[in-house]
Amino acid sequence: MPAAPSNPSLRSVRLGRTFGDGATRRVALGSVTFDLHPGRLALLMGPSGSGKSTLLAILSGLLNPDAGQVLAWEAGAYVDVWALPQAEREAFRLRQVGFIFQGYNLFPAFTAAQQLEIVLRWGQNASAPDARRRSHAMLEGLVLGSQTHKKPAQLSGGEKQRVAIGRALVKGSKFIFADEPTSALDWENGKLVLELLRREAHDHGATIFVVSHDSRMLPYTDIAYHLEDGRLSEMSRSSLGEHP
Amino acid sequence: MSYALQTLIHERSRYAAGVGAVLFSAVLIALQVGLLLGLFELTSIPVDHSTADLWVGGSHVESVDLGRPIPISYIGRLNKPGVQRPELYYLNFGNFTKPDGGNSLCTVVGTGLTAGHAGCPDVLTPEHRQLLTESLTIVADQSDLAKLGLSGVGDRGKVNGKEVRLVGVVTGLKSLAAPWLMCSQTTAREVLSGVNPLYADHVTYLLARCDDPARAPALARELAAEYPEMSVYTADEFSTKSRLFWLLRTKAGVALGYAALLGLLVGAVITAQTLYAATMASAKEFATLLALGIPRRRIYGLVMAQSFWVGLVGVALAYPLVHLLGSVAEQAGGRVVIRWEVLLGAAALTMATSLLAGLVALRSVKTIEPMSLLR
Repeated sequence: MPAAPSNPSLRSVRLGRTFGDGATRRVALGSVTFDLHPGRLALLMGPSGSGKSTLLAILSGLLNPDAGQVLAWEAGAYVDVWALPQAEREAFRLRQVGFIFQGYNLFPAFTAAQQLEIVLRWGQNASAPDARRRSHAMLEGLVLGSQTHKKPAQLSGGEKQRVAIGRALVKGSKFIFADEPTSALDWENGKLVLELLRREAHDHGATIFVVSHDSRMLPYTDIAYHLEDGRLSEMSRSSLGEHP
Repeated sequence: MSYALQTLIHERSRYAAGVGAVLFSAVLIALQVGLLLGLFELTSIPVDHSTADLWVGGSHVESVDLGRPIPISYIGRLNKPGVQRPELYYLNFGNFTKPDGGNSLCTVVGTGLTAGHAGCPDVLTPEHRQLLTESLTIVADQSDLAKLGLSGVGDRGKVNGKEVRLVGVVTGLKSLAAPWLMCSQTTAREVLSGVNPLYADHVTYLLARCDDPARAPALARELAAEYPEMSVYTADEFSTKSRLFWLLRTKAGVALGYAALLGLLVGAVITAQTLYAATMASAKEFATLLALGIPRRRIYGLVMAQSFWVGLVGVALAYPLVHLLGSVAEQAGGRVVIRWEVLLGAAALTMATSLLAGLVALRSVKTIEPMSLLR
């Protein structure tokens, strides 16, 4: 595991979030404080309904917290993500954040390459040739070089999830959030997805935050957290096991 | 290829209802207008079957069948370079008494009868023209015989109390309400002056050809400016004016507007629903793009582009269908006038409706939230 650099890339400061009112009030997050570092793949585990997805949504700028701050390192300073106006927060997500979801959410009409190209063309106003070149290069790196022209219906589940990873990475995101990215895959494909995410962290310095309840992932992660009843704890090194 | 068009082609069954709705609206409008234009073509038949370039009548003539008597002496006013020798043209409503005693409205049309006369209807054969030189003889359209209570050549009826004899039957001079009775200038003067003594030295129109028909509009403007108490039109202008007058006067235009509006409304609702459903079917994909920070306006743009393509495909398919249904209607005895202005108008209206449907469907995009992917 790479040594934790001095500067955390994403700081969670006393984050709190509740849902409902009165008798139905439920505390999803108590006062959660922890740091994520660049170049590391972090895993968040916990039972269903423990608030894992809520934490991911708050960290990634999709769901506002009731209390606390999310500080993201960008261009030599920390940005208070939830203090930004909505348009600026969306612009921050566009510059820095990539998502991988349980479902692949690929457009049925588009080829593998186009799923990535649309992000570059619409997000960065890239020219068509530039978007095509970068998308093809990204898919090559994800061992999908021969599948760029295929539509989702012609791809296997593992291939589709790799396309979805490519879509999350292609715009150069520094923060990658993955919600149960392997749950729809067999373990062989699941391992491949984890290796690709691990490589993105170690080789390119991305901050990767994965939410899952699959403990087989532990050996592939650099650090793991457990969330239960709104409280976060770091799992011991020994519980991670050795990377195969 | 654009993302919108690519989606439309890939998921064509999903968009088919929207395309069908646009197609329906466009065909409905074009055919309705075509049928009405066909119907109101009947009001300008005397103009359309003449070869005159200029029509001169009394002031503010709204339609060819509503001309009022003007002094024959106006003929001297047409003595202008470029205008050929004018001729007299009678056209007035009359009361037709059927052989069985019943009454019907008719329109008496009295013209010069040689082949060289600009007012002589082109459907009259030389034989008809010869027969009409006999006083108090008429020629009528086959489709109007029943209205006149006549069974064929040789039958007699009365116009304004004067007995007339049917000497010929033609096709192509169908009337809307008052059958056209073609006759000589002499016959017309005789039957019309009985009820309106002015017709002793008045006519309804003065017709003239121009040396250069292309100069007719300019000459018409010159004459109209010179003599404000006369209406001067080119044949094309007078034909269009007559049709428009009856289209508006009978409120048929209003009925058409309502029917077209209903067609557009149905088309808009179905198209909006199609686009709405299609957008919601891709809600997760759009939500992923929104999560990645792609501006929502890009997705609005995509939906609007889809509505554009749905409209364009619908209109393109409507074009041949309008022609097909038009010829079917013609074979069934109807008259459908398909003009490029009407096709263009129908296309523009339905395209606008489709884009409006797109705007309505944007509501669906507003409801898409990336957070929904994490629940």
